[in-house]
Amino acid sequence: MTFDFSAKRDKGVSLAILLAFLMMLAPALSAQDQFYPNGSVIQGGLVPGTVIVPDAAVVSPQSSPIAGQAGADVDAVNTKTIPKGDTWVEPPVTLQNLLAQGGVPASIDELRLLQRQTQLVASRAAECTVSVQIGPAQGCGVIISESGFVLTAAHVAMRPRKSATLTLADGRTVTATTRGMNRFVDAGLMKIDDGQNGGKPWPCATPGTSKDLTSGMWCIATGHPGGYERARGMVTRVGRILDVRNDSLVTDCALIGGDSGGPLFDLSGRLIAVHSRIGNDVADNLHVPIDHYDECWDQMSRGDSWGFLRGFKPMFGVRGNGADQANVVEVYAGSPAKEAGIEPGDVIERFGDVQVAGFESLKTAVSDTMPGERVKVWVRREGHLIQVIVEIGRADED
Amino acid sequence: MKTENEHRVKLRGGLAAITHALLIVIFANTSALSVIAQDDAPIPEWLQQRLVDRVMHRRDSNSMMRLVQPIAETINGGVVEIISSGRPVALGTVVSKEAGASGITKSSTSSDSYVLTKRSELSGDPIRVRLADGQLLPARVAAVRRASDLALLVVQADAATIDRSLRPVEFTRFVPMIGSFLISPDRSGRVIGIGVVGAAPRKVSHRGMLGINLQRIEEGGARVQAIIPNSGADEAGLEKGDRIIAIDGQTQSNVDIVVSTLNSMFPGEVVQLTIERDGSKVDIPARLSEYAIMQESENDARVNGARNVRLSGFEQAIQHDMVLNPEQCGGPILDSEGRVIGINIARAGRVVSYALPASLVASEVSSMIAEAGGR
Repeated sequence: MTFDFSAKRDKGVSLAILLAFLMMLAPALSAQDQFYPNGSVIQGGLVPGTVIVPDAAVVSPQSSPIAGQAGADVDAVNTKTIPKGDTWVEPPVTLQNLLAQGGVPASIDELRLLQRQTQLVASRAAECTVSVQIGPAQGCGVIISESGFVLTAAHVAMRPRKSATLTLADGRTVTATTRGMNRFVDAGLMKIDDGQNGGKPWPCATPGTSKDLTSGMWCIATGHPGGYERARGMVTRVGRILDVRNDSLVTDCALIGGDSGGPLFDLSGRLIAVHSRIGNDVADNLHVPIDHYDECWDQMSRGDSWGFLRGFKPMFGVRGNGADQANVVEVYAGSPAKEAGIEPGDVIERFGDVQVAGFESLKTAVSDTMPGERVKVWVRREGHLIQVIVEIGRADED
Repeated sequence: MKTENEHRVKLRGGLAAITHALLIVIFANTSALSVIAQDDAPIPEWLQQRLVDRVMHRRDSNSMMRLVQPIAETINGGVVEIISSGRPVALGTVVSKEAGASGITKSSTSSDSYVLTKRSELSGDPIRVRLADGQLLPARVAAVRRASDLALLVVQADAATIDRSLRPVEFTRFVPMIGSFLISPDRSGRVIGIGVVGAAPRKVSHRGMLGINLQRIEEGGARVQAIIPNSGADEAGLEKGDRIIAIDGQTQSNVDIVVSTLNSMFPGEVVQLTIERDGSKVDIPARLSEYAIMQESENDARVNGARNVRLSGFEQAIQHDMVLNPEQCGGPILDSEGRVIGINIARAGRVVSYALPASLVASEVSSMIAEAGGR
């Protein structure tokens, strides 16, 4: 069953006829379910109200793939554009109000239309939702350009220029390198290393915007909670936006460890946020609004990292000086440095992967860590090189 | 004005080599009440609205529950509450021999009704069922399936009661696609939760363990070398140096036998350990639990919330995200067409509940009823 989308573009076709056509197809929809008894991935374009999305134009690595999608008007007649990306699922006309404004479906039939959207978005999201492993930490990411840019959380990416292993839906692993991160909002960026897809474009999410989001809107979260499991695959959750703030979205799409960095879509399949953190209650799930990535695209793509998430400012616990070397002058009582046995007079030679030049470069290296992270530190003391392990602490912020 | 005062802790992966990234935030003052308690000034209207929206706009809000109520009501009389040792432990699904077939056949000649429930929650006698109409009836376990954690209960009732409140549900051997809505009713036909299929059915393996390290010894049995904190062995009071001689009355000749006996058990099951300590023999009951849970950090345990002890080890399970209490398992789960596509078998964590698919349940029901002597 195919649906010629041109009918909708034609002004001559009334809305009523279109609606009648959709309703006529409705019984066939539930019957179609029967062909997928195992909830398997469905092919695109077979369902009314959806279109097969053609390959988008090649995205320049210098410009944000998210840009230019803001406010793309789905309803525009004649000048209708199909959003680029592979997760777009055109909603039926009858759902457009509910999807734009949020709320409870008016009837069970409307709920089933909503369900059709979640089914299709979930099936398409599988290709661009990736599991991310960096060192011993595992999180998620979402591919957003055919060239292989991947959005994630800053605390998953950790630091610029780190090597990451991504696991795709089919279990294939590829390597990526972290770019920059805006830690104020927990936004991180990485890019799949070139030459790993035989010249083919990567499947990617349809970019959306977070500026029109409102409490009560429906959304769909995907990811690999608890890590990648081949037999299980990606896990889908459906919920609603409960609060829209500048720095975060709150939803009741339940997240847990391993989901961080995964995508949150609206029910048309547009990427609207990235998973970040949770509270104790099952309805306290926080996501980074997508527009933050767009705003900081240039800094992040060139590998800048800055800021810290409130409550997660890292602390090492030494005072010192030195332009060419990092001299420790004072070690604060009860600090991680003190716990690790660092003493005044020590020279910090190396902090994790960073060869420390002056005290400023030590400060930068510390700010690139997270509280709780265990870092190997090499210090020179009376001519000897000593290695200690420091568990980064949490700084007071007020 | 500060709307909330957030204190955060970072999640750590405990002993596991891999840490699963996610930051845990503790919201100190997100409810309207706590703001009122701390602020003398009246809350601005916009903020009040935001706090109300946080509850009203949930997927599982009252208005959503009302929307799907008609779907839940289609199986009125098909759900009971299971009372074991005087407290509600699970829901039960009323089943009949023809559970898998289409059409409900009333058993007019027999006064026996069958109820399927989650076996591991049946903590002790007496077992009773509370029906849709509030009646409390005695029940007995007629058959169990350890691998699926199912128990079949037999309930005796008069024909009128059976007709009204013990109406077998009809299973539909169908698995909804990922992203499909699911609904579960309680015994009174009220919706207890709305969820969505999160992953295709799969085998959910388990690592059910007592939480002990064993040492090979010359004498019979095996010596306890170490005990994992918060494990069943820990709770049972097992001690380092204890020698396990027998399990459930079966003599264990060496460490290999002990290990293989324990490996055949599921999380949530209780074993009777006969141990030798300081020259005397003691019988100690101990409960196996899932290894992953023993290893969990305090933060993980908190955000996961209350779960069933038997939350793993199922041949086939549909993963969904309905927020269930552990004592709400055992009841039917419906899709948006009102088809009974399975029964809830475990609340396994913050993001995961499991349901046994109708195909598995229906075949287990047939064989269990046959075993119970049902014609």
